[in-house]
Amino acid sequence: MSSRTTFIGAVEIGTSKITVFIGEYTGRELAIIGHGECSSRGIIKGAVVDYKAASECTHSALEHAERDAGERIDCVFLAQTGGHLEGFYNEASVNVKAADNMIDRGDIRTVCDLAKSKELPAGRMVVHHIRRPFRVDGRLVPTSPENLVGQRLEVGYWTVHGLEQRLADNIHVIRGFNLEVRDLVLASLASGHMVTTPEERQHGVLAIDLGAGTTDFALYRDGVAHTTGVVPVGGTHLTNDLSIGLRLTESQAEKLKLRFGRALVQVRDKNEKVWLDGNFAIGDRQFPRLAIEQITATRTWELLEVVKKRLGGVFTPESCAAGVVLTGGTAKLAGIAEAAAKVFGVPARLGETPSWVAENLRDPGSNTALGLLYYGLSAQNERPPPTRRGGGFLSNVKRLFASS
Amino acid sequence: MSPSETTAPLARSWRDIPQQVKPRAMSNEGRRRLVFSALKTAGALALLGALGWGGVAVAQILREGPKKVPGQAEAAPIKDIVLVTDGALDRNWIVRTLALPKNATLMGLELYQLRSRLLVSGQVRTASLTRNFPATLTVNLSERLPVARLMAQMGGESPHPLLVARDGVVFDGVGYDSAATDALPWLDGVKLARQVGVILPVAGMETVADLLAKARLEAEHLYRTWQVVSLARLESDGEIEVKTQDVTRIVFGTREDFFPQLARLDLLLDTARAQSAAPLREVNLAIGAHVPVAFDGLTAMAPAAGNAERAARPAKSPPAPISINLQLNTKL
Repeated sequence: MSSRTTFIGAVEIGTSKITVFIGEYTGRELAIIGHGECSSRGIIKGAVVDYKAASECTHSALEHAERDAGERIDCVFLAQTGGHLEGFYNEASVNVKAADNMIDRGDIRTVCDLAKSKELPAGRMVVHHIRRPFRVDGRLVPTSPENLVGQRLEVGYWTVHGLEQRLADNIHVIRGFNLEVRDLVLASLASGHMVTTPEERQHGVLAIDLGAGTTDFALYRDGVAHTTGVVPVGGTHLTNDLSIGLRLTESQAEKLKLRFGRALVQVRDKNEKVWLDGNFAIGDRQFPRLAIEQITATRTWELLEVVKKRLGGVFTPESCAAGVVLTGGTAKLAGIAEAAAKVFGVPARLGETPSWVAENLRDPGSNTALGLLYYGLSAQNERPPPTRRGGGFLSNVKRLFASS
Repeated sequence: MSPSETTAPLARSWRDIPQQVKPRAMSNEGRRRLVFSALKTAGALALLGALGWGGVAVAQILREGPKKVPGQAEAAPIKDIVLVTDGALDRNWIVRTLALPKNATLMGLELYQLRSRLLVSGQVRTASLTRNFPATLTVNLSERLPVARLMAQMGGESPHPLLVARDGVVFDGVGYDSAATDALPWLDGVKLARQVGVILPVAGMETVADLLAKARLEAEHLYRTWQVVSLARLESDGEIEVKTQDVTRIVFGTREDFFPQLARLDLLLDTARAQSAAPLREVNLAIGAHVPVAFDGLTAMAPAAGNAERAARPAKSPPAPISINLQLNTKL
């Protein structure tokens, strides 16, 4: 990144709301100078289903943030979520070329290219290649293996890919505001980066971002994201279950969920009832509290079980010493940490926004957008200068001559 | 084998998605931003273009010869000469002195030569000439102020009046009101010398100018009566002699500040006027608190440390020198 001041927008197009933060990046420091939010329209489970409505509300949030900051955004880091995102692990190994077995840059480049070269099904595109630590003759090397001596160099990549159309839709919503999308960042990586510490990531931690339409998770090991995933179930499903189970409108169900919903059943008295509004007006009704808790707890438990099932054998209590960290808007549901602890069999806690974030921005629902700025910038700084695949103009001309 | 031969092509990345969006797919704000950025780009390109064009034009002119740069200005004759001065010289004098040819052009002028022509006149202290394109020559002058005048006769010339500035420079004095120059005292006891046709500055003129300035400022009623200032004994005795309408000879000393001498003179003249009908002939202020004076019709004076009353009274017979001790009376 250049040393001049850049105004970076972090945009999370979520199912319930669109969050925008503007960071002023001087090349060394980042300061959050603007914030904008807007209720989502035209977005279901993180996917754009109505381009016009989604564009309007996203652009409205961007305008709010720019007004708040008093600056124009130069480029955007965009959070990416949705059920279409999948991941796989691929690893490769090479024999070290040099006679003295000293690993050079060529060996590293070869093994990395090999590990990333797995073909994708048609219509799918890579969103992230997350590198796991190198291994030299089976020995773990947390940093670069250059100049180390060994016979065999191994590396693995967790590759996250998604549907081209869905990715393009999200990008075009931002481009409709005439802004460049500088980077796409998985929502789970952004929020996970925000609520976990480097030590926790080193020891192993599972970060779960419970959103309205999706639940994103990232399992960290050895300081890097080991496995990521998205479950297309979120807080709106709890609302929907309440709505169906208690015969309520969605807004009424949402109100009950926020006031009385719990991730673990606590009420023992079956006859305890709660008022819908509590103002005794016409239409105000009573509902059994136990029913509310049972519905929300069942769905939450199920959701956490799905996450555990998606992780499969990768997740073991031993490999997740730092436990589970929960964040996202639905993480505000009472008792969710206890529920997560029971499901995963490890300690669980609610993710805390770092103390250097301003008080008014410390909300579990904002962690993804905040993390976007920090994760996005650190990824930009770590990334080598971009090289065009297939070469530039000169290479194309050379190829022309070669083929003729 | 090179790495590219061993590895399969990388999978397509989200970065391969084209980010171009048609304007119709943009929101109003997006279109506004698009127009703004297009204008910014166009402005930057126009600026670059203008700079490039300017650079090419300058390079071309320089290649053709630096003398052709001001060709247009050189072709146009001077239309006007503007004079900015702090003194009495006027535009006619400038035109006369510069004596520019009729079709002179700005770029054809030798400004240093013209400047030295102006500086020949002692009245001009500094001069600067500026070309103001397309056809105006601006002359900025700073002039000397005359503090005295003298009558000069050099060689076989007929005597003619000249003015003298504070720094001793002697000049003709052009453009002054005659009333102003007539009020200046004449200089006497000055030997003028010429070098390469130019009169050399009068030595010691700064001291005289100090006296005249002090008199003009502090005792204007006295200064008005001063007719001749003699520098004859300035170098040898450190004395300046002044002849006024009322007193034939007033001697000022240069070793003491002129202000107390002027004050003594003023008091003395007032006292003498009040107590004696005889006009004063000579006053010597150069010897300190004791001021020898001489009256017309009286003979030599003798210094006496008496009071002013007695001293100012003219003696009847035999005529005796009179001296006034002003220190007692004026407490200067």
